Formats: sequence, C-alpha cells, structure tokens
Amino acid sequence: MIRTIRALFLGCQLREKLLVVVFLGIAVLLWLSGFSKRASAFWREQHRTTLDLADQAQWIANSGGIEAAAQKAASRLDAARTLDGVRLLEAMQKLAADAGLRPNIGQPSNPPGNGQFAIHTLEFTANLRDPDPAKNWEALTKFYRALQQRSPYIGIEQFTLRPDAANRAQIALQLRVSSVEITKSR
Amino acid sequence: MKLLDTLRAGPPPPKIALLPDALFFTRALPVAAGATPAEATAQVELALEAISPFPLAQLYYGWFWTPGADRAFVFASYRRRFTSEQTAAWRGAEVVLPAFAAVMGAKVEPATTILLASPEGLTAVHWDEGPVPAKVLCHPLTPEATDEDRIRARDELIRAVGGSRIVRDLPTPLTADPALNDREIVIRSGDLVSRLPAATAAALDVRDKDDLHALRRAHRRDVILWRVVVGCAAAVALLGVLEIARLGGLEWQRVRLAKLKAQTPRVEMIQASNALAIRIDDLATKRLLPMEMLTTIMGVNSEILPPGMIFTRVLASTAGGLYTLNIEGQTNNAGQISLYQSALEKLPACEKVDLQPTGTRADLTTFRLTVTFKPDAVKPVSATST
Repeated sequence: MIRTIRALFLGCQLREKLLVVVFLGIAVLLWLSGFSKRASAFWREQHRTTLDLADQAQWIANSGGIEAAAQKAASRLDAARTLDGVRLLEAMQKLAADAGLRPNIGQPSNPPGNGQFAIHTLEFTANLRDPDPAKNWEALTKFYRALQQRSPYIGIEQFTLRPDAANRAQIALQLRVSSVEITKSR
Repeated sequence: MKLLDTLRAGPPPPKIALLPDALFFTRALPVAAGATPAEATAQVELALEAISPFPLAQLYYGWFWTPGADRAFVFASYRRRFTSEQTAAWRGAEVVLPAFAAVMGAKVEPATTILLASPEGLTAVHWDEGPVPAKVLCHPLTPEATDEDRIRARDELIRAVGGSRIVRDLPTPLTADPALNDREIVIRSGDLVSRLPAATAAALDVRDKDDLHALRRAHRRDVILWRVVVGCAAAVALLGVLEIARLGGLEWQRVRLAKLKAQTPRVEMIQASNALAIRIDDLATKRLLPMEMLTTIMGVNSEILPPGMIFTRVLASTAGGLYTLNIEGQTNNAGQISLYQSALEKLPACEKVDLQPTGTRADLTTFRLTVTFKPDAVKPVSATST
C-alpha cells in the first residue's frame, strides 16, 4: 500500500507535492506544540501527585512512631493535673488574683485534638498601674513565679512586657499561655 | 471508493515507452576488460561518435553493458526520425527504449535468439555467449503481410543471425511488472523475465542525456519530499500513540488523585497528632523563661543596665526561639549602647548579642537588642533560689 501511495504522490504535480508537505508539516507542528503543552502539564501534575503520595506514605508509615512519641510525651504529665480550657482560665484567674493583678483574659481556644490530647491556649493581659514601680515589679514577679510553678501544665508561649510611655512606673503584661489536656489515657 | 480501489490494486507498473526497433541502428562494441561504469560509458560514447554519421547531440542513443562484460551493445537513431508528438508522449515515462532493448536483461542460454513480433515487423535479439547480446536484426513487414510472410521473415532472421541453438518467440507483448522498488525494472512476456537494474535502465534510456540528468534530479527531489511526507506521517502516528498513552496516564492519575484524596483525612490526623506530640513534649521539657533572661541582662538590681537606659518593649516567644529575648529600648546617652553590648557579650550565659541603634529623636537614641542565650544557661527562678 505504501508503494501505491508513493507512486500516487510521485505522480502528482510539484505544487501538489509541496502543498501536501507544507500542510502535513504544519499539522504535525501544531499537534506537536499542543501535545507538548498537554504532556508537560500532565507530567508536572503526576510528579506533584507522586511527591504528595510519597509524603502521605511516609506519614502513614510513621504514624505508629508519632503516636508512641505523643504517648511518651504525655506520660511525663499527670493526667489529673492537666487542664482543659475552662480550668486553664480558672487557674490563670486565680494566679492573677493571688498576685494582686486584675487581668483581662480571653476565651480559651478550642482546637481539635486527636481524641487523646488537646492543647488549649488563651491570651492574658494585665496592666500594673500602682504608682510605686517597686510594687508593680513585685506583683509581676510573684505572678510569674506562681505561673512557672504550674509548669509544665501551664506553659508560656509568648511574653511581652511594655512600660507605659507616659508613666514608666506602670507596666503592661501580655501573655499567651497554653495547657495540655489529656482527654483519654490508654 | 476509487481511491480505495486504487490502493487495493497495488503499485502501478512503471511507465515504459517502447520505440519501434526499425528506427535504430545497432552495434556491439568492445569495452576494455575491468572497466568501471564511468569508463564504459566514456568508451561507448567515444566509439559511437566514431561510427555514427551524426554527432551524438543529434542522436537518441542508449547501450547495454553489464559490469565485467567485454562488450557493450549500442543502439542509436537520428533524432529527426521522431516527430515532436512522439517525443512529447515520452513525458512522464520512467524509461524510453527500443522494444528489443527491453529483453536484454533476460537470463538466456548461450546461442539463444529471442524473436519479438510487432505490427511493423520482426526483431531478432541474439546472444552468442555472455550477458550482452551480439546482434539485433530487424525485418520490416507491411501491415498487409500474411502469416506466410511472417514465417518466411522469421526464418530469414534466424538464418541471418546464425548459430542459434535456442529460439524463443515472445508469446505476448512486453509488459512491466508493478514497481515494488526503485532498484530495478522488471519486464515480462510469458515466462521470459528481463530484469533491468536502475543503472542499466538509465543507460538503455535513449532520451537526451541532459534531460535525463534533470529528470533524475527532479526524481531525487520528489523522493526527498516523499520521505518528508513519510516522516510527517510517522510523526502523526507517533503523536497519536503518545496521545493515547497520555489519556491512559490521565486515567492512572485520576486513580492516584482519588487515593490521595481518600488518604488526606487520615494523614491530616497523623500530622495533627505529630504537632500535638511536639507541643506536649515542648511543654513538658522546654520552658520559656523570659523574666530570668531579662534579669540576666539587667542584673538582679539593674546593676548591668546603664543609668538612663530603659526598655520600652520586651518580647520572648517559643516561636521566636526558646533562648532568645527581643528588646526595644532607648537611652539619652548613645555612647552607652556599645558599652552595654560589650558588657552583655562578657556574660557567660550569652551566646550572641545583636544591638542595633534604630534612630535618634532629640537627645534620645532608640535601639533594638536581640540576645540569644546558651541552652540551659538560664535557670528557672525556683531552681536558682533552691
């Protein structure tokens, strides 16, 4: 059949042969161009999926180790002394009151846990406005020591201390604290 | 349908123009032993020029020679014996040659004579030995010639060539086989097969040699164009296969994406567990000690902090580094900044001190101080006090 088509082609006029070559060449170039775009998009997508699947496979393979690590970390804590959001709020209010502070405390965040543990975080702000800077400092130190004694059940994540610009004796304390709640022990 | 029928019919035979034998004078000419095709061509043309009453430019001529043969068989005709209508009919022909030349590629026994019959007469092609014929004789016949006349002419021809042990009469007119390749042309009559290799067919072609050269050049160009077409067709086929493969790949990718999506909630749960584990571990084992760090760089009774220097903001966070304290401050004595930096660098608990002035307003110079402590160099107040 090829020989027949060849004979037909060779029997054509030169301009007909050139037209066939040009049209066929353009068609091939257009298809090639479109195909290369589609192929490269497919290649990128499959490569990304391969990486994502490999990443997922690694996480799944390590899930046992991760759970064991979480258990090990939690085993350092006494489940009865861990605090949920409400107890964290109450504890912070009590610590502040004991130190003579009148704080503003935000609502504890309620993050999703893994069914066994949950971490609760809240924002704490206190303005120490006694005219005597020594008293302010003493109250701050008392509160801080009491807070640190609750470690590791209450941990400081962020600590900001800012003297008032107009009155250096007055101090603003901003804290972000968190607590671990062990909801179910194995 | 017509195209399909054409394709089914297979390749057409090459177009061959067979010329009347009687218009050509013929001669066997010696060729030097071991001559190359180019040397044989030169010898043949030189000899033909010597024996012909006309210059070569006024002749239509060709020859038959096979490599190793000690002679060539040449045939030529005065160009004016052909009308312009006759020569116009040659256009598009693969090869133009007298009818007797078409059988010269046949494999024959020594002392064989082949007789070709045509309306114009009878032609005898005689081989004595070797592949190149020794004689070609024509006996013209009128259209009114009877069968007896033809038998008589045949006998005369056989007698004239002499020494024939085998005489073969061609049963049917010469026809070319379909062109299965470019290497040879096959001409057949009954069981007689004449194979003419491309080079031999080119030498047999009687057309003007310059025209033949141009025709061959055009043919080579057309073959190149054909190869481009074949290349494009192959590329189209390859692209088709690749497109099919890509579609298969898309299906495979769809399955993988479904798997990825199905696994995502489980993996997110594991990642959350991991983040929780890290945070629980950090809470249990690592403590941010901002006041202890502040006391270290100020002194218990602010003895390290230069007089007139005050801190306007103190920041420590687990995200910024468990052992890093960021301070913004101001002083009314810019010279104190470098002195304070030197004092901090001398502290054994400090690993790195970065103190940069950030601006000056009136007599106040503001600065930013970042102190990084050595791990475990700062102890909790309760620990140091006990």
